[in-house]
Amino acid sequence: MSAEAESKSTETPGALWRRNLWVWAGLMLFLALSTWAAYWPYGRIDTAVAFGIAGVKTALVALVFMRLKHASGLVRVVAACGLFWAAILFTLTLADVLSRMANR
Amino acid sequence: MSRADVEACLREGHPDIEARLREPWSDLETDHATAFARQRDGATFGIWVFLASEVLFFGALFLTYTAARLANQDAFAAAGRETNIVFGTLNTAILLTSSLTMAVASQAAEKGLFRRLTLWCLAATAVFGLAFLVVKGFEYREDIEKHLVPGAHFALSQAPAQIFFGFYWLVTVVHAIHLSIGIALVTRLAVMGWRDVDFLEENPQVEVTALYWHLVDVVWVFLYPMLYLPGRSG
Repeated sequence: MSAEAESKSTETPGALWRRNLWVWAGLMLFLALSTWAAYWPYGRIDTAVAFGIAGVKTALVALVFMRLKHASGLVRVVAACGLFWAAILFTLTLADVLSRMANR
Repeated sequence: MSRADVEACLREGHPDIEARLREPWSDLETDHATAFARQRDGATFGIWVFLASEVLFFGALFLTYTAARLANQDAFAAAGRETNIVFGTLNTAILLTSSLTMAVASQAAEKGLFRRLTLWCLAATAVFGLAFLVVKGFEYREDIEKHLVPGAHFALSQAPAQIFFGFYWLVTVVHAIHLSIGIALVTRLAVMGWRDVDFLEENPQVEVTALYWHLVDVVWVFLYPMLYLPGRSG
């Protein structure tokens, strides 16, 4: 709490912008990379790269812009719960879909 | 407000905490600063529970897309080539930039030091959101002219391509509704903050609105490779 109060008094608009502009520049770079990668002639690898980059962009937004990096344990558990149940949803459904496709 | 509370407010730099305390936090038998801190925590916790439910809502839609794409890979590649990658990429850049201004607005409001910066960033966020909808409108017009609406006059010969565009229309409209709600919430904050000098400072409503805005951005981050990038190399 005391460290927070200290940063409150020393924070300037410039420092606030600099901290967030780095993340924005990274997001723009990843956007350009994913657009370029979509034209690579590697088929499925392109798709993997596209969704991998979407994951990296989401991590940047969630950790810095949504401040999960500095969030309380309770908030992190709630955020992880969303991903956890979505992962179960995907795993069980795709286990069914992919096994049907493999045995067709 | 008792004399001790007034002193506490002055010491903490809060303009008027009591006015912003809501039930049940206003009934807590603690000092106002502690009650307000708990109200903030409650607001953050509450919006994250809502966001986790939104992750599952969009997750179900994304899963439907995944299953349909796995079963119809060639048709989805052909359909993906028909979407306008210029509009799609531009809109992704616009939304990511709006998340920057929203994050700066939220952090500036929390520090309570830069009211004008907060107001300008809120206004910029709303404008970026509107710009996204305008670009999407031009894109929809082009899609309709190219007969990319599933039905009798659909442009592509492969039948499963209609599944792709059924998903495209459903999910982009649902996303646009989410974004419109976000624009309304951000505009509300900007107007109230402009009228009342003390409104934005340390107000949990700014953080709650910002978290919702970022989630709508993240949903689009995943829609971009799903709708605009398939089939580009083929």
